[in-house]
Amino acid sequence: MPARISALTGRSSFICAQCRKALTAPKRRRLLSTSPKTPEIYDVVTVGGGPAGLALLAALKSSPVTSHLKTALIEIQDLTKPRQWSSPGDQFSNRASSFTPSSVSFLETTGSWAHVDQTRIQAYDEMQVWDAANDASIQFDWNAETQKYNAPPQTIATMCENANLTRGLLERIVELGAGSSLFSSTSVSSIENGVDDPEGLNLSTWPVLSLESQSQPHSQSQSAGQPPSDTPNPTPTNIAARLLVGADGFNSPVRAFAGINSSGWDYNRHGVVATLTLQPADSNTATDRTHDFDLFSSEPLPNRATAYQRFLPQLGGPIAILPLPHDRASMVWSTTPANAAYLKSLPPSAQVAMINAALRLSQTDLKYLLSLPAHSHSDSAKTDTDADTDANVQHETELRWRLEHTDSAPADLTRQQPPPFVTGIQENSLASFPLRFRHATSLINPRVALIGDAAHTIHPLAGQGLNLGLADAKSLAECIAYSVSHGMDVGDAMALERYSSARFGRGLMMAGGVDVLNSLYQLGSGGDGMLASVVGQARGLGMKVVNQLVPGLKGLIMRQAS
Amino acid sequence: MRATTTPSSLTRLLALPPPLRTRTFSVLSRPPPNYPGHIPLTILERLSLAAGSAIGSLAKPYRHDLIASLGETTAKPYFLSRLHRAMLNNPTGRRILRDRPRITSKSMKLEELRQMPENSVGRAYAAWLDREGVTPDTRDAVRYIDDPEEAYVMQRYRETHDFTHAITGLPVIIEGELAVKAFEFANTLLPMTALSLVAIVRLKKVERQRFLEVYMPWAIRNGLKAEEVINVYWEEELETDVEVLRARLGIEKPPDLRDIRKALREQKRRQKAEREGSGAGAG
Repeated sequence: MPARISALTGRSSFICAQCRKALTAPKRRRLLSTSPKTPEIYDVVTVGGGPAGLALLAALKSSPVTSHLKTALIEIQDLTKPRQWSSPGDQFSNRASSFTPSSVSFLETTGSWAHVDQTRIQAYDEMQVWDAANDASIQFDWNAETQKYNAPPQTIATMCENANLTRGLLERIVELGAGSSLFSSTSVSSIENGVDDPEGLNLSTWPVLSLESQSQPHSQSQSAGQPPSDTPNPTPTNIAARLLVGADGFNSPVRAFAGINSSGWDYNRHGVVATLTLQPADSNTATDRTHDFDLFSSEPLPNRATAYQRFLPQLGGPIAILPLPHDRASMVWSTTPANAAYLKSLPPSAQVAMINAALRLSQTDLKYLLSLPAHSHSDSAKTDTDADTDANVQHETELRWRLEHTDSAPADLTRQQPPPFVTGIQENSLASFPLRFRHATSLINPRVALIGDAAHTIHPLAGQGLNLGLADAKSLAECIAYSVSHGMDVGDAMALERYSSARFGRGLMMAGGVDVLNSLYQLGSGGDGMLASVVGQARGLGMKVVNQLVPGLKGLIMRQAS
Repeated sequence: MRATTTPSSLTRLLALPPPLRTRTFSVLSRPPPNYPGHIPLTILERLSLAAGSAIGSLAKPYRHDLIASLGETTAKPYFLSRLHRAMLNNPTGRRILRDRPRITSKSMKLEELRQMPENSVGRAYAAWLDREGVTPDTRDAVRYIDDPEEAYVMQRYRETHDFTHAITGLPVIIEGELAVKAFEFANTLLPMTALSLVAIVRLKKVERQRFLEVYMPWAIRNGLKAEEVINVYWEEELETDVEVLRARLGIEKPPDLRDIRKALREQKRRQKAEREGSGAGAG
């Protein structure tokens, strides 16, 4: 700025801008008052009410170090619905995730796990992985360690519905008295840097969010009867965040505001999910999966439940069957968009036949089954000629014939349990979502941190996506606690470095590792030629090596994934 | 839950670790057969049978049982599975695998076939069998393939080999057999068909030249462009016109080998008669 000839001194001299303001404007001292246009300042503002965002809020509020922080969680949907979620005991949501022991322990420490409905979760102790291109298989379990001490089986992971977790987190947040931090049915219309108020605060480096309430007026009056800690305050229009946390999913506006790029690729695959009913296992381990273990018996203790994953390179990806209580299971089948559309167009009985086929038949048979004309079940209700009935059951008859001639128990002696038979599929539970791989180029910016899907999206084949988000939330909560207990500004870039250095590398390695695994299992998917066959056999050899040959390798892999 | 057999310490020393081990049983404890007539073989047995069959069938090409065992021992691990998959990918092939028809003298009654319309596949088949003096029963049963369905595929290949002869018109002499084998290699990729082409060394010079100039190029060209002949449901095609079937499959008819040979013999006889006539005239 050029110098201004001062009327007071009468000679030209350079006065800097701040001093000029100080000299010309009368200073009025203001304590604890903000001008009307100063936005309300929050310590931690989390945008996004998914599992990661809610877990972060619960962690902050449950720790005595950080519970005094002024927090806000902005969620565009109405959070009363997830809070009131309930489902009959034999029906399970098709969005269920596998929680590693670290995630569960984080949720237990913050007190949220107690609010998760324990009758709707299923811990499993073993995972069988095999490949349609060869006869190798890998069993992941902790038997090698637990059998040494005759200990009960150690959990590999726990299946829990996402809605169950969300409800538990919300209940915990309300229990901690932080219900007023929840701004549900609120959208963020813009995020900008604040203004530098000459008489007040300099918020030019602080994110300021403009909020818009989406809820109807009458629903706000309904909340009048609730206790004060429950009632959300009337939505302010502008809030400033000391630390803005982006937990707002794949297309994160917070990430866009921070100017952080997210790179990756679309897999050109869809994940088809459904809730299935399985045929019960043998009667002696049957329905009660929570029976007490007899620690003094010399028999190996049975696993509570088993997860199965079969790789189908020529069909686009693996099919995974993850156990739920009462002989139910959650299925995630990663396959091409065309196959996903085909599966969705089939009647339920044909869908069940296709899933059973995917677990047992050769890829040639599967490709043939996927080429059969799909008979929509709405047509079958109206006309019932023999031709229609035949067309309706052609998947089942084909499956039955091929099962007689398919060797489902290969020579590999290490495979103990054949995959389960699927007997039914829950109505309207078959859905699909696109699979993508993205990772943000940085997890932090000054006053911004990213957790969950905003930071990274990965392939579901290892069941790690949600766990990465929870691990991020845990790490960020610890980072904030460290900053608070050391008198630092929680949003300062140097303070956030602690979080980034803990999580960036680990998240990227996990995402990259899962991607490499996916690529590995897509090799030899080009056709039935000799090269594809050789590649498949080579991969099978590698699987056998991992399963048996190198003693600690499997344990190492399982420790990384837990 | 380890494997129940406990090998001696020497074999344990020499054996590869379980994931890399390839042998699944010993000759003293053969597993039960998977279908009637099945004989499971160890790797060493398979390799030695393949080598012995190759040498034996080259020495005596009429030993059809050696050619059969050569085919079975060399068809795995990949080639027979590929042929099996080719059948499963095709709707007609799948029907054949479901119905599992067998071609024997009982199922293919020659008297009925001879009555079929002129130029039909059945009539051509019967005519070819009569011309060459063979019957459908000369095919051996498959014994050394472990999977029952793949064993059926091999059996079906063997039993329909004569149909390939019939619609191409190639005779049962070595030259004709080699032409059909070359065609089958380009069409089915079974290693035995390629290995039997080594028998070219047994042909006379003239025959070999003719084979390499005319019949081998025909076989490769047509075998590659034709549809998979294993997927033809011959029992249903008996009344189809041969030309129509050939056109559908994409096979050209090769020059009639017997006619060529007969013409050559006639020519030689005439030349010899002329030489003797002129010699007698001159002398």
